[in-house]
Amino acid sequence: MEFAKYIARATEEIFNTMIFMEISAGDPFTNGKRTIASHVSAMIGLSGDFTGMLYLHCPEPVALAIAGAMLGMDLERIDTDVKDALGEITNMMAGGLKEALTAENIALEIAIPTAVSGQAYTISSPSGSERLVIPFTVEQGQFIVEMKYSFN
Amino acid sequence: MEYAKIIIESTREIFSSMIMLEVTSGDPFQRGHEKLNNSISGLVGLAGTIKGMLAIHLPDQTAITVTSAFLGMGVEEIDEDVRDAIGELANMVAGNIKSALDPKGSDIKLSMPSAVYGEEYSVDCLAHAQSITVPFELEGKTFLVELQIREEG
Repeated sequence: MEFAKYIARATEEIFNTMIFMEISAGDPFTNGKRTIASHVSAMIGLSGDFTGMLYLHCPEPVALAIAGAMLGMDLERIDTDVKDALGEITNMMAGGLKEALTAENIALEIAIPTAVSGQAYTISSPSGSERLVIPFTVEQGQFIVEMKYSFN
Repeated sequence: MEYAKIIIESTREIFSSMIMLEVTSGDPFQRGHEKLNNSISGLVGLAGTIKGMLAIHLPDQTAITVTSAFLGMGVEEIDEDVRDAIGELANMVAGNIKSALDPKGSDIKLSMPSAVYGEEYSVDCLAHAQSITVPFELEGKTFLVELQIREEG
């Protein structure tokens, strides 16, 4: 099950066809308890043949650039427009993942996106859950797509 | 759909059967973009014929009280036990909510839970969804149970 490949592909497609931003995927990693410093995280629940949560973590300048590119607006702070845009991107990434997995007969349902934001927050998942992190580089910095999941 | 009633019944049932603590519900309301301070939020997605997210927001001290009761041991700070317990609490309450919304048990599934915590953060309901929140009181402290549901159409 090639989660990293499908998620990277879904992300790249969204950025190429809807946001028109250059992005470059870094090497995925699965280990480490290193928390990810970010100012806004859009997240969406996944359930089916496995359960999970998919996250898009961005520092402020990257969040503003991505949402701005998507909406064709100049954005100054992480407001409702930015959160909605990142939520929609997360929803589409989950949709791309679902499509790829359906082709392999792996069932997946998607919940609704939510945004967490602030200067100092941490997001944790149940002990023992699996983790996949894919960093992406854009002109304004880096963003991270992360999936926590479990087959239990 | 009487979401507030389902939230109240589900939360009270879990607290009385699994945590052995009495909680009292207050009036439902719609949360805005209020910041949560020194708090922890357990979040679980609902996916299927109804799509949504269940969130339980607790101030740190309340989360510690709940975790201590749930695990039958004293906890002092927001550590891994608390984070797991609050995620599990959200999972259990969401499970009851799901049963109320989907009695057949086949049309809605729950995602893996998450716990968000910190000195200051917001958890926001996004476009195309509506949210209803019920405040609860536990030993003089307040926590919130919020259900976000995808709007029809």
